[in-house]
Amino acid sequence: MGLITALLAPFGDMAAAPTFLLEVLVGGVAAGLMYSLVALGFVLIFKASGVFNFAQGVMVLFAALTLVGLMERGVPVALALLLTIAVMILLAFAIERVVLRPLVNQEHIILFMATIGLNFFLEGFGELLWGANVKRLDVGIPDESFMLGGMLLNTLELTAAGTAAMLVAILAAFFQWTRIGRALRAVADDHEAALSIGIPLKTIWVVVWSVAGLVAIAAGIMWGAKSGVQFSLSLIALKALPVLILGGFTSVPGAIVGGLIIGVGEKLGEVYWGPLVGGAIENWFAYVVALAFLLVRPQGLFGEKIIERV
Amino acid sequence: MTASAPPMLQVEGISVAFGAVQALTQVSLDIHRGEIVAIIGPNGAGKTSLINVISGFYHPYEGRILFQGQDRTRLRPYEVAALGVARTFQNVALFKGMSVLDNIMTGRLLKMRGSFLLDAVWWGPARRQELANRAFVERIIDFLEIQAIRKTPAGRLPYGLQKRVELARALAAEPTLLLLDEPMAGMNVEEKEDMCRFVLDVHDEFGTTIALIEHDMSVVMDISDRVVALDYGRKIAEGPPELVRKDQAVIDAYLGVPHE
Amino acid sequence: MIYREAGQFKTSYAADQAVFPLVQDRWVVGLLLAAAFVVPPLLADEYWLQAVLIPFLVYTLAAIGLNLLTGYAGQVSLGTGGFMAVGAYSTFKLTTAFPELNIVFVFLLGGLVAAAVGLVFGLPSLRIKGFYLAVATLAAQFFLVWLFNKVAWFVNYAPSGTITAPPRTMLGVMVTGPRAIAEVRYLVALALVVVFAIVAKNLVRGRVGRSWMAIRDRDIAAEIIGVRPLRTKLLAFGISSFYCGVAGAELVFLYLGSAETQAFDINISFLVLFMVIIGGLGSILGSFLGAAFIVLVPIFLTNLPHALGVDASVALMKQIELMIFGGLIIFFLIAEPHGLARLWQIAKEKLRLWPFPH
Repeated sequence: MGLITALLAPFGDMAAAPTFLLEVLVGGVAAGLMYSLVALGFVLIFKASGVFNFAQGVMVLFAALTLVGLMERGVPVALALLLTIAVMILLAFAIERVVLRPLVNQEHIILFMATIGLNFFLEGFGELLWGANVKRLDVGIPDESFMLGGMLLNTLELTAAGTAAMLVAILAAFFQWTRIGRALRAVADDHEAALSIGIPLKTIWVVVWSVAGLVAIAAGIMWGAKSGVQFSLSLIALKALPVLILGGFTSVPGAIVGGLIIGVGEKLGEVYWGPLVGGAIENWFAYVVALAFLLVRPQGLFGEKIIERV
Repeated sequence: MTASAPPMLQVEGISVAFGAVQALTQVSLDIHRGEIVAIIGPNGAGKTSLINVISGFYHPYEGRILFQGQDRTRLRPYEVAALGVARTFQNVALFKGMSVLDNIMTGRLLKMRGSFLLDAVWWGPARRQELANRAFVERIIDFLEIQAIRKTPAGRLPYGLQKRVELARALAAEPTLLLLDEPMAGMNVEEKEDMCRFVLDVHDEFGTTIALIEHDMSVVMDISDRVVALDYGRKIAEGPPELVRKDQAVIDAYLGVPHE
Repeated sequence: MIYREAGQFKTSYAADQAVFPLVQDRWVVGLLLAAAFVVPPLLADEYWLQAVLIPFLVYTLAAIGLNLLTGYAGQVSLGTGGFMAVGAYSTFKLTTAFPELNIVFVFLLGGLVAAAVGLVFGLPSLRIKGFYLAVATLAAQFFLVWLFNKVAWFVNYAPSGTITAPPRTMLGVMVTGPRAIAEVRYLVALALVVVFAIVAKNLVRGRVGRSWMAIRDRDIAAEIIGVRPLRTKLLAFGISSFYCGVAGAELVFLYLGSAETQAFDINISFLVLFMVIIGGLGSILGSFLGAAFIVLVPIFLTNLPHALGVDASVALMKQIELMIFGGLIIFFLIAEPHGLARLWQIAKEKLRLWPFPH
């Protein structure tokens, strides 16, 4: 009985201090949108090539490292940004040439494991180039806290949230309504078939991985400005996986919704239920929620129902 | 075959749909013990869907399936297999990572009981069972004349041999009902003759009831006792081969007369 | 290998099914095994035993466990670290609660606890496949590590949060604890790995292995021919977690001496996965080769600059190590997805014909 009261008590806490609850929710939404940004990169690549890019998190780290590294060497922000974009596009070319092309039409699980390998390679490479200590990332986005209606808010988080929302909207439109978007979806469905009807696989892959790289830059900037550029950035990106499970691997709006649910759920869980069990629920909360979700709906909220044929 | 015993398989008014696609509508047919029934129809008629429903892979939203008089509509595929139904697949579903011998041995999995603990020490009953099953499978390998390729990884075989290995795997389960989905597709004349011979031999020697989907009319005429014709998910004709092939509805279906 | 198998005809299926059908193979393996038991304890120095051979044996056991689950049964798992942790911590609790129990027996009990946990986390595998399952296993990984971190009961309320292997003896010899010598720990680890490798080999060449591979290659067709998917997958999760649990216990009790949860975090899950991929998915021999590779590369890298007379920092070596691991994964997946084990097989076939080219 005591256990049930203890589990339900936080609801009472929530009702007792509604402004605080709102603040937590806003924090959750902001975090959630940042997760969505990272998840977006996954969705793009998966949607367009059927490859589950485990290395997306490291790409975020790599992008941030490159940006910071350039800035530390005195390169002005705007130029550094352009150079980073160029680097990420180059990276996309390299990945397509070295990793993807030789593995065309292998089973997805093989590609998945290749991206795990890529993950580790880029991590080592990034640290090799730019060093392994934590870096501050300052791209000129104001980081001030202010009060609004009794809630403590932060400009950085709001900027990040806004950017994420905008990017998501643009990409969703792109996939849904443009010819290239449709071609990308065909590629994701079946590489060989797409090749056989003349879709230029190589170009498409480079385009997609470049866009994913750009999204990674955006995510890297947001996350890096918030908590510094360090290895744990790629761990945060691991968290994007439950987001994908909730939202489906192929849905751009799903990435938003999934991110929001995870972000809000995590914050609520940590703030209200965390103290019950000693805290740090955030480490596993998202994954357990994803697991529970998968049991009920294996394709996620927005994913396509998998129809298996024999 | 007494008149009062129910047919081995009774399909009653089965309908299957995937979203907006209606695969089968109100299909009924009976298969009697010891028969060879051919299922024919143009592409997309629902023949494979029918086989999939019988194997328990799809479940109909209306209708029943009775196996030896008992309702088996809701069974899962491995439960249907346990009843003695074995099948081959239209696009050859061999286990690419395993040798031919191992593939056929998987067909015996239903017959193999035992505790994994005994397997772990490869001793006593586990070992004897493995060897006994190996002996049985070797007889099937002899029967289908595939001795030379028994250690080859299944993925490396040419198409015709893959189909034969699939048949061997189905036979390994000692089925009472054998469902063959286009067992001769993509074969040349000699291979088809061999396959026909095997199918008839199986039927004659083991008394297995066989239902096969087949496009080649000469094969159908040669080996089947009865023919069922499907088109657009419905049964359009049923009867002895010579009658069905002259049936107007069947001719229309194959020649493509516009439908309503 | 370099010998001919001409003249050796098998006259029974039993002979054909044997693990080493060639007489020469049996001799070679027998000799290798005897050498493994005798040579290192006599000749190898402390460094080799402690830094190379013992971790190699421990990781091999974990790699076999993961290989059974991912390589044979096709269920991708990133939760290896978590299951190893379960083995380690339950062994710790059991041996501190019942100090009179034989420590190797307690390892096995720890493995059983890990197996039970593995069964629970394996339940979702009926509904979830492929990378979805990989993410689900991450839930196991993160939750279990968090659990052992937070609940002080598991470390017997030690303020440092670490578990330490208490001294235990077997047959009068000190096996674990600060006074257990490396030779003894090596022999225990070796014995365990040999026994469990034989068990694994027996499992995979028979009924169980075939049902696993059927599910891996074509799970739908497998179900249609009668393989029961839930039972088969759960068996894979259970047995695999058992192996990983025992390996986890060995990690603490025979190798490190003491450990925190950090030893079992996501990195070790990746490490063991690398061993399995590089060594060869679906190969028991591959698990040995992959583990040897992963253990040796860092050692090689640490010693290389010194050997070349070049000065390089530890951090730099670590980064190169990551790059080499990542690069090799990609290389193997492209060039030889069946890993070192397949390369070994190809080499053997070439040697059979040597000196003829074909």
